[in-house]
Amino acid sequence: MQFLLKRLAFYLVAFLVAATFNFAIPRMLPGNPADIMLANANAAMGPGAREALMATFGFIDAPLHEQYFSYLKSIFTWDFGVSVKFFPVPVIDMLMQALPWTLLLTGAALLVSFSIGTLLGILAAWRRGTLIDVIASPTALALQSIPSVVVALCGLYFLGVSNKIFPTSYAYNPRLDPAWSVEFISSVAYHGFLPVFTLSIVLVGGYLVTMRNNMIGQLGEDYISMGEAKGLSDARVRYTYAARNALLPSVTALALSFGALFGGSLVTEVVFNYPGVGNLLYLGIVGRDFPLIQGQLLIMTLAMLIANFAVDLAYVFLDPRLKRA
Amino acid sequence: MNKTVIAGLMTTASLMATPVLAEKSVVTALPEQVTVWVENYNPFNQTTVLPTVEHFMYEPLIIFNRMDGGNPVFRLASAFKYADDLKSIDVTLRDGVEWSDGEAFDADDILATFAMVMKNPAIDNQGMAKMLASVEKIDAQNVRFHLNTASNQAMFQIVRVPIVAEHIWSGVDDPVTFTNPNPVGTGALTTMERFTPQEYVQCRNDNYWDAASLKVDCMRMPQIANNDQALAAAANGELDWMGSFLPDIENTYVAKDPENHKYWLPGGSLVAFYLNLDSQDAGNKEAFNNVDFRRAVSMAFDREAMVEIAGYGYPTINQYPSGLGASFHAWNDEATEEKFGGYTQYNMDAAKAQLADAGFKDTDGDGFIETPDGQAISIDIIVPNGWTDWVNSVQIAVEGMNAAGIKANVATPEAAVWTEKLINADYDVAINAISVGATPYNQFERGFHQRNQGKTRFGAARYYNAALSEKLDAFTQTIDAEKQQVIMGEVQQILGEDMPILPVFNNPIWYQYSTKRFTGFFNADNPVANPGVHKTNPARVLHLLALRPVE
Repeated sequence: MQFLLKRLAFYLVAFLVAATFNFAIPRMLPGNPADIMLANANAAMGPGAREALMATFGFIDAPLHEQYFSYLKSIFTWDFGVSVKFFPVPVIDMLMQALPWTLLLTGAALLVSFSIGTLLGILAAWRRGTLIDVIASPTALALQSIPSVVVALCGLYFLGVSNKIFPTSYAYNPRLDPAWSVEFISSVAYHGFLPVFTLSIVLVGGYLVTMRNNMIGQLGEDYISMGEAKGLSDARVRYTYAARNALLPSVTALALSFGALFGGSLVTEVVFNYPGVGNLLYLGIVGRDFPLIQGQLLIMTLAMLIANFAVDLAYVFLDPRLKRA
Repeated sequence: MNKTVIAGLMTTASLMATPVLAEKSVVTALPEQVTVWVENYNPFNQTTVLPTVEHFMYEPLIIFNRMDGGNPVFRLASAFKYADDLKSIDVTLRDGVEWSDGEAFDADDILATFAMVMKNPAIDNQGMAKMLASVEKIDAQNVRFHLNTASNQAMFQIVRVPIVAEHIWSGVDDPVTFTNPNPVGTGALTTMERFTPQEYVQCRNDNYWDAASLKVDCMRMPQIANNDQALAAAANGELDWMGSFLPDIENTYVAKDPENHKYWLPGGSLVAFYLNLDSQDAGNKEAFNNVDFRRAVSMAFDREAMVEIAGYGYPTINQYPSGLGASFHAWNDEATEEKFGGYTQYNMDAAKAQLADAGFKDTDGDGFIETPDGQAISIDIIVPNGWTDWVNSVQIAVEGMNAAGIKANVATPEAAVWTEKLINADYDVAINAISVGATPYNQFERGFHQRNQGKTRFGAARYYNAALSEKLDAFTQTIDAEKQQVIMGEVQQILGEDMPILPVFNNPIWYQYSTKRFTGFFNADNPVANPGVHKTNPARVLHLLALRPVE
């Protein structure tokens, strides 16, 4: 219990620090939303128009600390204001519309890459030196070092544009209305395949190598020899004894890669015109939509912290020693 | 995922693509590239409003057709007349026009719309509060616009204000944030058949006054985020009417269906290099304020290479010393062209000679020239990151300038930064575009009138010339065509002599179309009006009415 309380306190501090960065970083960007809008609007707007617009968007020429406190207030009241780029839609509506798609992408990619990577890692360690180890490990590592934008573009070009096996944009066929029907769900799966594929392929290597190295460490332990001596089946020793203990560092890696995935999904969503929060963030930055950028970064921070907290909880389950601590 | 699953998914996907609106004639159009459609039908909004709300839901009063010498095509209005002193305009409204909900359209709608716009600066996109003194109702079909200052340009601005229904908007608390969820309009397409963030379908208005001319039932607007996706959809033949930059268009688009895939790229906004006359760098400032330097730089530009190589041949070259542009050739002043035309021709020897004669030479031996006062010149040319045709044009400009001995580099800030630098005059040289109007007056006024210098992106040259501003004002004070021609000639002479900016080409109006499902598209053989489907082009109404479904 004390362990969890400590962690909670830590997350609160981390959240406040991150929120402060979220406030500061967009304001360091040159340019401001009203000028961008008017520059592209081809308008002969009068001198009062710019000020009127700025006021409508909630941009007040207040001193920085006042802006900061009204920002902090907005966080805790969950009111992120109105988006400039998507005016007059509230930021929270834009984010909530996009978040499920990003969670779907990252969740699926995480699940796929973690399962494949860990499983391959276990096998590679168990049969180290054999063909599966010699081929899988270096290949996975090589794939891991390719930037996700390159993987995404290659996937888009070869499987989407030139061979037309998969669609190149949207989360589902735009002619359909969302519903719990086979038609709709298969459309989502079909449109999600390429983005999930490109997101997972770069992650497999990390899990594989972590798992393989931990396994090899565990396999030298006495309790493994003990299990084998008792006459347990190979599979039981491999999965229930060695793998369970080797899994802890992999779970940490899982939490960390959640952040990397959110970042990677930004690129992937832009490339595949996928309606997630990464795509929104990109648009927000280009349009200097401060409320949107702040809201999106905050949601991302929260998602990261929640993922880490979930891992802490998982530790308690996976490592019984922590229950007593 | 194994092959059978993929095959299964593909079958479902192709089944799902069966058109929902098979029995209607639906034009699939791409008026704008966005990441998500937002349900906003407020025609005064400048950000998220759906791009088919203006003009298609809210019919313009009059469309001034630039491709027909700026002549009026009457829509909701049936006539207009300037008073002799150009201080007021009488507008007669068309008889029998109804709103899509069946209410009559009349002068009260005009009055209410303009009263609302003039009261709310945030929706006064055309600067009506500054221009209009008042709007007076003469009777149900006639209104009189009273102007603050006499001007023959006022009507061009007035018709850009969308006219909304008094009986709807009088109940709106805040017209700035109102999203107009149940739009009632006077235009051709006012019924929202379907709306999702990825696609919307807008169908015909049963009360449309010009219904007899409208042969299209609906327009479908798919959400497409960028040029690559636009190209993919276009090459597949999914889009009937669009306007995007398609690289190497003959191979990537036309060749996919040579029978039906066509394009036409008439000249649009004026693209020019701006030399900041108020540059913060003393050496650059001295150079830029020397007309011989500006002329030499202009002669170092290989405009043909910019058009043919950087622009894939899509832009229209602009070698008018004043930047007039080919589409305004009827206004051309030949004396200006004769006297200064040489300065817009690519001529490296002449450029070098011009610089040497003016006292620019390399005094510190670094291979690049210094100013006559001995100050160093070092120029960064800014161009928005990712605008590839422009970036390559700047590259060609830099090569020419370097060959002429001028030290210059390309800088590619983000578009937002580029805009801010232009407005704040925080740059040396920039490539920039000025939007054009019905007559050359608009581009010259935006670019060179002293009241706009330092205020907008167009007036970024910081060129203050009172005599030129007076000429431009004088142009607005007469409706005598001959007098206008004379004044425009004098304007060109001043600009040709000073060359405050260096015109290079006119950006194309992006326009591609497919004749697979519809005919009647405008093109070079049938140049009725601006063919663009973009929301800045009111003439797209004429284009929609010209389309006929293929039998």
